[in-house]
Amino acid sequence: MASTDLATGTLERHGLSDEQLRAIFRNMLLQRQLDNRGFQLNRQGKVPFALGSEGHEALQAGAAMAFNRGRDILAPYYRDLGLCLGIGLSPYEIMLSIFARAPDHNGGRQFPNHYSSKAAGLMSFSSILAAHLPHAVGAAYAIKYRGEIGRAVLATCGDGTTSEGEWHESMNFAAVHRLPFVMLVENNEWAISTPLDKQMAEPEIWKRAEGYGIPGRRFNGFDPIATYAAVKEAMDRARDGGGPTLIEGTCYRYLAHSTDDNDMTYRTREAVLERRKQDPVPAFEEVLVEHGIMNAQDVAEMRKSVLRETNEATDAAEAQPYPKPADLYAQVYEGAWQPWQS
Amino acid sequence: MAVATKESGAKPRLPLERSGLSDEQLVAIFRTMLMQRTLENRGFQLNRQGKIPFASASEGHEAVQAGAAMAFVRGKDILVPYYRDLGLALGIGVTPYEVLLSLFGRAADHSAGRQFPHHYASRRLGVQTISSVIAAQLPHAVGAAYALQYRNGRGRAVLTTFGDGATSEGEWHESVNFAAVHALPVVLLCENNEWAISTPLSKQMGQPDIYKRAAGYGIPGIVVDGMDPIACYAVVGEALERARSGGGPTLVEAKCYRFLSHTTDDDDRTYRSREEVEARRKDDPVPRFERLLVEKSILTPAGVEALKRSVLEEVNDATDRAEAMAYPAAHDLFERVYEQRWEPWT
Repeated sequence: MASTDLATGTLERHGLSDEQLRAIFRNMLLQRQLDNRGFQLNRQGKVPFALGSEGHEALQAGAAMAFNRGRDILAPYYRDLGLCLGIGLSPYEIMLSIFARAPDHNGGRQFPNHYSSKAAGLMSFSSILAAHLPHAVGAAYAIKYRGEIGRAVLATCGDGTTSEGEWHESMNFAAVHRLPFVMLVENNEWAISTPLDKQMAEPEIWKRAEGYGIPGRRFNGFDPIATYAAVKEAMDRARDGGGPTLIEGTCYRYLAHSTDDNDMTYRTREAVLERRKQDPVPAFEEVLVEHGIMNAQDVAEMRKSVLRETNEATDAAEAQPYPKPADLYAQVYEGAWQPWQS
Repeated sequence: MAVATKESGAKPRLPLERSGLSDEQLVAIFRTMLMQRTLENRGFQLNRQGKIPFASASEGHEAVQAGAAMAFVRGKDILVPYYRDLGLALGIGVTPYEVLLSLFGRAADHSAGRQFPHHYASRRLGVQTISSVIAAQLPHAVGAAYALQYRNGRGRAVLTTFGDGATSEGEWHESVNFAAVHALPVVLLCENNEWAISTPLSKQMGQPDIYKRAAGYGIPGIVVDGMDPIACYAVVGEALERARSGGGPTLVEAKCYRFLSHTTDDDDRTYRSREEVEARRKDDPVPRFERLLVEKSILTPAGVEALKRSVLEEVNDATDRAEAMAYPAAHDLFERVYEQRWEPWT
């Protein structure tokens, strides 16, 4: 793992405390557990849809640690469970969304797996690729317009999204107006069934930064500490008025695109298993144990506590009622409007 | 593939003798430039006289367009221009009469006077019809290039053009990326005139060199002095040749300047100073190329005068003929729109 200095054997931790490193690891475990739970519940017929972000754990847990809750704004894409957990969403909130229950933040009416939280500074998700990026740079423009120093917008997307016109328009707009904006691309090499080489002729997305006149950087997205360092540097620059940055974290999507996809129709089991050797979760566990930040027993206990929390959140969310048909227009218009009665 | 990029400012100057252009071709380029300027001047005059509703101006683009047109192979290549490409259209064979039919909106126009004025097209010459919507032509252009590749049509390429403002559009990005992924036979020629209507370059992009974006798409990016028709011919010709021989797309940026208002509907005094425009007039490509041709004895001063007279005569003649043509008849509104004759009002 890149964060370990091979010569000295010391961990390059970029200022992260033991507690923070453990929090990153717990996020990664929770992410994997919740994703797994989502797929199970879907196969049991209990939830209509779930998404898997296996392979993105390190990138998302590391990036979330560089986010200032209460100041920054997160405009994520739909494969960002770990970022949402990392900035403070609870497994219960996640489960309410997946189960589409009435207490969900949007009354169970958003697409499952599309959380949001005003308290955490988390914008609601769009299923439409790149549709959130004009919103994200718009939020960054508002921060600049109001002269708010020390705030920035962190937006994420996959590699496939970088082919969308909105991606380009948003990058260019952020660059022209030097907005407090960080574009974090989670390059997992697959846009549903489209491989990277059918998506772009130049596989290194960060190289587009020069064309926009902004800094660009690539980092190993399987390394949460390297991710933290890259995202923090970019967010600090944005917060200090230094303008936007394009950063690209390399990772991999281990599961199918979603519960509605079968990736064996377009890639081989062998190709996926080969990449499993780089799985960031056991790799980071090894780093933490090796450097004495956790012992084997700590890890086992953490896994148990993550499973317990997931079980509790599942049961608590499942027990909640579905939204009532009569509430369809609640929180949509100001006041109570029931068009079928007028 | 070698990514040929050149530093901005270091504008390549090609010695005349190495361009491969004959005296006849050089004079033809100059005549296109003169024709472009005269015809455009005529468009503005006709608009101010209340005879036509609209004209667009490409003063400052004469060199890049006449040079690029010389690299276009008529009968094989496809041109997908933007709305400020009079010189390209003339250079590949659209006649002043056809241009004026479009400006006058007459029935004999290729679109029977129903396209926006100044938006010519020619199936005969391989010119796609022009879109007023910025960057809307680019997905069509790469689509045509995809068709060429799909049909295994080696030896053909698409030349598409756009201004600096169009590079901020999502369609621009999607088209360049699509062309790059599929290594399509297309040349993307940006005529960077520094003004997107009233938006200056500094408000349009974070860094001023559009060719630098090519590296991010994995294709060659080349910058050229858009005031030098020979350099433009050479660069566009090389890019087209690469495209025709299966070498994929190229992004070419020609640095030029827009001397007039955006169109007859615009007053550029509201957003830029006369001093700026006057200062840039020193680069005016038409007198600059005239001086070069005279200096190299390719034309004599008398030859230049004769050329200017013949251009003016041709424009006068085309104006009179086009003006004399009839407007489209109201009942022809749906003509050539649907396969069958369809008159929804009957």
